[in-house]
Amino acid sequence: MKTQSLRWWVLGWFVGFIAGQQATAQSDSATTSRLSNAVSLSAVTVRAIAPERFLAGQKIQRIDSTTLLQFRFASITDALAFNTPLAFKNYGPGQLATVSFRGTSASHTAVLWNGININQPNLGLTDFSTIPVAGFDRLAVQYGSSSSAVGSDAVGGSILLGSTPSWQPGIRLMVGQQIASFRNNQTHLGAQYALPLGASWKLSGKSLIYRSQLNNEYPYTERQHYFLEPSTTSQRGLIQDLTFLHKSGRQLSINAWLTDNDLIQSPQDTLARERTRTQSARLLATYEANRMTIRVGWIRDILDYAKGNLNNPSHTQTNRFITRIEREFALASNRPYQLTLRTGAEWSHYGTRTDGYGGQLIEEDRADLYALLRFQTTRWLLSANVRQAFVTRFNPPLTPSVGAEYRLVQQKRFTLTAKGAVSRSYRVPTLNERYWADLGNPNLLPENGFNLETGLATAGALSDHLNLTAELSAYRNRVDNWTYWNPTTNYHVENLQLVVARGLELTTGLIYTQADWKAGIRLGYAFTRSSQERAYDAYSQDVIGKQLVYVPLHSGTLNTYLQQGRSRISLQMQANSRRYTTFDNSQFFKGSVLANVVLEHSVNWRFMLVRIQGQVNNVFDTLVLGVKRNAMPGRNWAINLIINFPSNTQ
Amino acid sequence: MKKQWIKSIVVGLVALSVWNCKTSDPEPTPYESGVFILNAGNFSSNNGTVSFLSRASQTVATNIFQTANPSLVLSGGVQGYTEVNGKGLILVDNNTAGQDKVEIVDYATFKSLATLKSPDIENPRQVIQAGPNKAYISCWDVSGDFSAGTFYKDPGYIAVVDLNTRTVTKKIAAVKGVENMVVVGTEVFVGSNAYSGNKTLMVIDLNTDSVKERIDFGSTPEPIAVDANNKLWLRAGSALVRVNPATRLTEQRLTFSETPGSVVISTDKQAFYYTLGGKTYQISINATNATGTVVISRSFSTLGVDPQTKRIYGTQNPLLYTQAGYVIRYESSGALVDSIKAEIAPSGFYFR
Repeated sequence: MKTQSLRWWVLGWFVGFIAGQQATAQSDSATTSRLSNAVSLSAVTVRAIAPERFLAGQKIQRIDSTTLLQFRFASITDALAFNTPLAFKNYGPGQLATVSFRGTSASHTAVLWNGININQPNLGLTDFSTIPVAGFDRLAVQYGSSSSAVGSDAVGGSILLGSTPSWQPGIRLMVGQQIASFRNNQTHLGAQYALPLGASWKLSGKSLIYRSQLNNEYPYTERQHYFLEPSTTSQRGLIQDLTFLHKSGRQLSINAWLTDNDLIQSPQDTLARERTRTQSARLLATYEANRMTIRVGWIRDILDYAKGNLNNPSHTQTNRFITRIEREFALASNRPYQLTLRTGAEWSHYGTRTDGYGGQLIEEDRADLYALLRFQTTRWLLSANVRQAFVTRFNPPLTPSVGAEYRLVQQKRFTLTAKGAVSRSYRVPTLNERYWADLGNPNLLPENGFNLETGLATAGALSDHLNLTAELSAYRNRVDNWTYWNPTTNYHVENLQLVVARGLELTTGLIYTQADWKAGIRLGYAFTRSSQERAYDAYSQDVIGKQLVYVPLHSGTLNTYLQQGRSRISLQMQANSRRYTTFDNSQFFKGSVLANVVLEHSVNWRFMLVRIQGQVNNVFDTLVLGVKRNAMPGRNWAINLIINFPSNTQ
Repeated sequence: MKKQWIKSIVVGLVALSVWNCKTSDPEPTPYESGVFILNAGNFSSNNGTVSFLSRASQTVATNIFQTANPSLVLSGGVQGYTEVNGKGLILVDNNTAGQDKVEIVDYATFKSLATLKSPDIENPRQVIQAGPNKAYISCWDVSGDFSAGTFYKDPGYIAVVDLNTRTVTKKIAAVKGVENMVVVGTEVFVGSNAYSGNKTLMVIDLNTDSVKERIDFGSTPEPIAVDANNKLWLRAGSALVRVNPATRLTEQRLTFSETPGSVVISTDKQAFYYTLGGKTYQISINATNATGTVVISRSFSTLGVDPQTKRIYGTQNPLLYTQAGYVIRYESSGALVDSIKAEIAPSGFYFR
């Protein structure tokens, strides 16, 4: 009790410190912005969320907008599977899909939406099948532990989703329609607008509604003697972004994202059918003035599961109220180096009513204090971060990280950068792990990670037409007190395991451009060795040193395209070696190669810009199995139509 | 000399052709004699298997159905197995409705002969021989939500399988949660899963494949076996009950402190083995009170008794479901023989 009040005192003091510094810091930045253009540029970059700027030495991969446009009607699972080494544990088309990032478990990846962690707090993870690519404008993947900058869950890595306001004046409308195999279809309707509001303010906005209906009416019931599971998924969503920008640079953004995902398995049988309905409401207001950012967010996650009678589901509802205040200090910016300190404090309040916990309201508070330091010269980029989290009846560790990047070669047409980072990470147990009736364990310790990584990145122009980028990374991530629902103690959750993940990642890209022609190839390869290393009972001997389930040792992606004018043909490929399905590696799914071909063409027709995509998925008709040992569908197709008007945009 | 040469060629050719004939002889029967271990697999992973253990070995042959039929898959938990007239019936329970099946295999090679699927087979629970060429398979039918009380469809059914045509010829409407079946003469005594709440002991006439009688039993009857005196034993709540199959009357009721687990009859049918409170006991069929003698001072998930060697086979308790489980063998005296790694969740035995 005493330590608890001490914590709140420290927190209050810290917030007071930030607020108190405000006046001086503001005047400081106002002076400097008059002094040089470079600083106002960095004031713009302040809008980037912390993990993109303060994790020197770690790999970040931004998925380009053309790729996002190709996956416009897909879930984020497909976009990531074909472009990153992330491994997915997939239950079936339109069904639960969870991630393994660098050999960690599904709850070791933080999914951030405009800087806020949106992992479902009861499960501590994101079901990637419920996140459509249409739901965000930007997608980046932050590799490795980044708890110091992100907070809980960022053990294997983070997925960064973001909204980007467009300031192009006028109103643009968008209509998108997909028609696909198995009587599946999707519709998107949206508008983007920007207009001045008086002399000092302007507004940018985006409104989008989307719906999809996966009927999954396969013309076959089995593939190579593996059954396909009958299921339907209906998805609906609404996105509303509003950004008010003052000419002084002050900005207020409102982001809202409502999602509703309705999965029914075995819909043909009224007794055995199962419905999983996942609804989320995410509201966020962000105010940025000079070097201060204040965020206020509210997220509600609802999970309903019913079998047979769909009207009487088991109910899970969790609300989160989040406030975060961040303040950036340019400690030295008009020198040949820049030194930036960003401090932040966050407080969130969780309230959950979950049938599995007994149905009563369970509340907890979480708070974070952090300081992120960034030092940049022409050749060096260094960062040093520290975070301390506070959670009701729980004690997260102090989480520091340091990273460095050094330009080994810095020529006009060629750069070579060496990178390295050391970071600790932690994970606050999920609400299920803490509160589930009888099985949960309120005394769980935080999982404790230690991540080491190093890498080399290069970018260069091989000729006037040919550009190369390549990055090689190696890492070792050791996670202790890994939780395990232990069968030998009637499935009580315990901090039993020690998992060590180590790996290598290589990504290369080559782009050729000449006149009207463009061609590109992107290759990714990952070696991921992740294993449980602790003996905690007699039978765990059979598990020690074994590869974690559903994590392939080798995986690769290949994306290549050829474009002439507004026509483009692309090939997307993903391959992985065998995936073990049991802890002792006695059973596995065979390795597989998946390939999609996408043909695109866009035309101006009257006042509209019409983009047509035709895609053939799984062209090799490969048999891939889901977790329940059901076959995924074979070769299938889709036709996508995206109409933007007026056509003078994009 | 030349003749000699020709002669030797002819002899050689004859020998070769004979040898050739030999190699195309009947297929090897690797599973002729030994123990079949039924592995239930992990819930919802649908990864059950049948492993084969030859009695002298300490290593199992894994997933013998897949070995014998490389292009086929079981894809479900293995729920039961028996043999009828040289054919094996493997009950496969998938956790998705409509994907359960019964694989009919050649008993010695495990090569698939036929597959029975939904809607003939839905949640198969137990298979018994019901005639020279006939099998009964108890099926819960499609299961709903346990907490809503719709888990056990009322009634379940018994699928009658003709092994000549390899088809389900009839579905006998049975009881809710239908499960264990024991043949006594020309009758089959049918009970239910203890959680079903059904209290009817059903009697089926083997000659007509129809329900002969429904006996109200007071608690859920789970038929176990027929003893050396041709009396029927069943488990009802925490009691073992002896019933005279002719009169249908209860002759003995042994009530334990809690429900005895994994009850199996001994080879000579004079006693039962069971687990209770972390130990494994033996009790005579002539016992007058529920006091067994400890045979092994640990308990098991499943017990089996090998009729050839009289050895007791027990499976690891609790089962871990995500890694291979162990089968531990004991002499009938309770002396430990060895421990053998099987596959995921070993939950049943078939001895041949």
